[in-house]
Amino acid sequence: MAAENRHNSGRVRKIVLFCVFSLLVVVTVPLIPYAIDAYAVAGKQASVEKVAALENPAINLWNDVRQRNERTQGLTQVQGVDSGVLINKAGEDWRRFRVEQLVPYGAWFMGGILGAIVLYYLLKGTQMMPGGPTGVRIPRTTLNQRTAHWFTAGVFWLLAVTGLILLYGRFVLIPILGSEGFAVTASACKEMHNLFGPLFILAVVAMFVLFIKGNMYNLGDLKWFAKGGGMFGGHVSAGRFNAGEKTWFWLVIMFGSALCVSGLLLVLAALVPGREVLSLAHMFHGISAVLLIAVSFGHIYLGTVGVEGTLDSMTTGSVDAAWAKAHHDQWYAEMMNDSAAVEAADQEQGSGLVEGGVAKPGQAPGV
Amino acid sequence: MSTPLERGVETLKAQVDARVEAYFSSCTGCGVCAEACLFYLESGDPRYTPIYKTEPLRKVWKNDHTLLGKLSSSIGLSEPMTESDLSDWEELVYDGCSMCSRCSMVCPVGIDIAYLIRKVKEGLAAAGFVPEGLQMAGERALELGSPMGLTEKSLRNAISGLEKEAGVKIPIDVEGAEYLCMLSSAEIVMYSEYITALSKIFSAADITWTLSSKYFEATNTGVQKGDSGLAVQLLERMVKVATELKVKTVISPECGHAYTTFRWDGPNILGREYPFKVMHILELLDQLRADGKLKTSGSFDERLTYHDPCNISRRGGVLAQPRQLLNQFATNFVEMDECGEMNWCCGGGGGVSSNERAEPLRLKVFNIKKRQLDALNVSTLVTSCSNCRTMLEEGLEHNEMENIEVIGLTELLADHLE
Amino acid sequence: MFEQLVDGILWDIALVIFFVGILWRIIDVLRRGTRRDLSVPRNSGVPGAIMANIRGFFPRREIAPRVRMKVIAGYMFHLGLLILLFFAAPHVKFIAEHITGFSWAAMPYWAFIVTAQVAFAGLILLWIHRLLHPVTRLISRRDDHVGAILVFLVMLTGCMALAEISSELRVFHRFTVELLMIYFPFSALMHAIMFVPSRAYSGATFGRRGVNL
Repeated sequence: MAAENRHNSGRVRKIVLFCVFSLLVVVTVPLIPYAIDAYAVAGKQASVEKVAALENPAINLWNDVRQRNERTQGLTQVQGVDSGVLINKAGEDWRRFRVEQLVPYGAWFMGGILGAIVLYYLLKGTQMMPGGPTGVRIPRTTLNQRTAHWFTAGVFWLLAVTGLILLYGRFVLIPILGSEGFAVTASACKEMHNLFGPLFILAVVAMFVLFIKGNMYNLGDLKWFAKGGGMFGGHVSAGRFNAGEKTWFWLVIMFGSALCVSGLLLVLAALVPGREVLSLAHMFHGISAVLLIAVSFGHIYLGTVGVEGTLDSMTTGSVDAAWAKAHHDQWYAEMMNDSAAVEAADQEQGSGLVEGGVAKPGQAPGV
Repeated sequence: MSTPLERGVETLKAQVDARVEAYFSSCTGCGVCAEACLFYLESGDPRYTPIYKTEPLRKVWKNDHTLLGKLSSSIGLSEPMTESDLSDWEELVYDGCSMCSRCSMVCPVGIDIAYLIRKVKEGLAAAGFVPEGLQMAGERALELGSPMGLTEKSLRNAISGLEKEAGVKIPIDVEGAEYLCMLSSAEIVMYSEYITALSKIFSAADITWTLSSKYFEATNTGVQKGDSGLAVQLLERMVKVATELKVKTVISPECGHAYTTFRWDGPNILGREYPFKVMHILELLDQLRADGKLKTSGSFDERLTYHDPCNISRRGGVLAQPRQLLNQFATNFVEMDECGEMNWCCGGGGGVSSNERAEPLRLKVFNIKKRQLDALNVSTLVTSCSNCRTMLEEGLEHNEMENIEVIGLTELLADHLE
Repeated sequence: MFEQLVDGILWDIALVIFFVGILWRIIDVLRRGTRRDLSVPRNSGVPGAIMANIRGFFPRREIAPRVRMKVIAGYMFHLGLLILLFFAAPHVKFIAEHITGFSWAAMPYWAFIVTAQVAFAGLILLWIHRLLHPVTRLISRRDDHVGAILVFLVMLTGCMALAEISSELRVFHRFTVELLMIYFPFSALMHAIMFVPSRAYSGATFGRRGVNL
């Protein structure tokens, strides 16, 4: 019965993984040639501008207008931010950054990480539980932690997909949908992105509050890093969270916060003084997003096909003792001392009502 | 000859009424009911979720009473009922539900889940999926007149013993008495102090009363089992003796389900109104108190609490009476954290107590009561249902808490008469 | 072609199925009837039925801490959706033009966005909770998931069309609304209406016995 269940859930997991992976490949791989293209085109434009600048006789005036040497503010009766600027050079810098750096490097980075993961998987395959599952379950996450995780994951991917469409749509979607089709898609994506953005703030706060415990670095983590997290063999010792998980947690918190702050500035553009703040916000937003998306590939890989038995901690909330012993030996020893919790999870396959066992009436799960 | 499955499904189909239709149409599967259920909370097993226990009836309703269900049934898309849809639910419904109705109190869309589970029992009983203990109790009730197998002779022996022992007069078969007191078998074999207490109270209040030798059993195994035919037969016997003795009021004993069954469900099961009034003994006692006919003296100073029997409080509405009665003489009466209409069941209602198979689960879910009592540190536990009383005593013994004495309210009151 | 279909015949079909379906479901309940309760009541059942309908909106103190998540997310979603349905500017305009003939004050844009965010957060949380909690995972039917996904799609297409710059997005939104309206009477979404008789039946039964449901 239990074996059949495991077999079943394994199959479902494989299907889900296959879908997620296909989606990621479909989203990222086609971007690479366009990114290369865009990079080449931008390079050409830059050299043309250099030549033009040398031969213009009204060069001083034009240099001031173009703000080539310094930031010049003209005088005008129009009151408003940047109204004294004829041509905003910073805007051009930002545009170039976006097209010449963010777009191509982002594509290379995300594609590269994805490629490395696929390669690693092809070489090493799924890391199985040593000795197979024991059937003894250890509670690992609470219902609230799992809810916060999947809420964050859901909102993150909605934002990631709409964001990537806005970033790469010009190269990938216009050839397929045509300009008008893409205009509609982009409008829809922008509205979704702006509407769901603030929910990500809630998600990051919830993740921070619910997962901070156990995610502080300690000296043992240095050893973990030195051994490469056991990626290339050898045993690595770890507590409730290993150094890799801790790093992912802090990446999510730091770059997630950067995304939230920069995103809020962009949404509330009317209240922000100056375009430079906005272009800076956009730069941070783009870099943080690309980084988190790329690292999330690794997170998803390790949580699903990469390591057998890991996904359980985010679905049922409990993990097999063999998994805990293999990947979190210190935490495993701690939990085995608390036999009551293990029994409860064992009996219930981690119903996850309350951390550390079965709920008692009047015992609040807490939000 | 139809198969058990066919009998079960046909019976379930016949159970669908407006309430069933409204209830199942409203359920969103939010799972709030589970958080009120002692069987789920104590076992942690989601299969004990109250609404999940009604699954056989829901499936029949879905396949047979909804447009989409009928359409998909007709083209073979729906899952037909199978025998395991009934047999797998026997344990959930008879062992894992005490019909306490706490879930009915918390459902956000107002589903009376206990009402649905009662109907599921009809289907299971028709198909023959009834625990042996309950089946036997039903047979004894039908043949001998009592689920415990007591007869008129046992009653008479018990009464003559009591009359000698306590020196009281216990009237039997007195025609034209004001009150006819029904009993539960447990009150004859285990808690006969209740009968002595009745005698003392009625003589103190100077009221005529009687027991019936022809049929004394107030409990109704037919209802616990989900067998309406049996329920009607047992109720008819009760109506018959009450009518023959020409009493004005029939008093339901210290038994929870007897009260709900006789007082509230009985007329609907029989399909006619009674020619007499039905009261719970606590209702009568409180009325006598209010009329000044029942005066107490002295005080009971030990720390005590009152365990609400679900069928008397939540499903019966006898909530204020026991408290008013206790407050007359109990100087140290404390309430449990969740009491009255939101009390926690003893674990043995709805026929669970007659079902030996369910004992380990029943003792497990008693942990809720144990924690409630631990928090209060009482030495006396008063209740008003002999079934609860047995369950509480067994639970306390199991948890080595025999320092708490369990006592019936009527009995305690009789000890404090003026 | 698709636009004409969605704005024309499909809308009419959806409207008819929605209203006739709901009416038929209500009649189906009433036609079965309930037998008169023959027991002598302690109180009248009517106040019980009314009170149960009011009290049902608030979780009981005894279980409130255990269902906090469901209640908060539930209110976020349901209230948010109701407000969006009746007070979003495009909806007010649509209802006035196609149904009532008169309009009322719509909420400002920022309120609309905040309400939508609250409703989305509630819906996503409820659905995740449904999938993760062992109880709801066990008792949820396909119908419950289809309903949740349909409502999510309706809200998502609605927010996609927020800029109101293209008729494609508006038509897409209206199309999902029509799907939802057609699905509604045959599904657990009927709880939006059936909770009233359901609470009333139980409230009356308990009320007659002197118990407040």
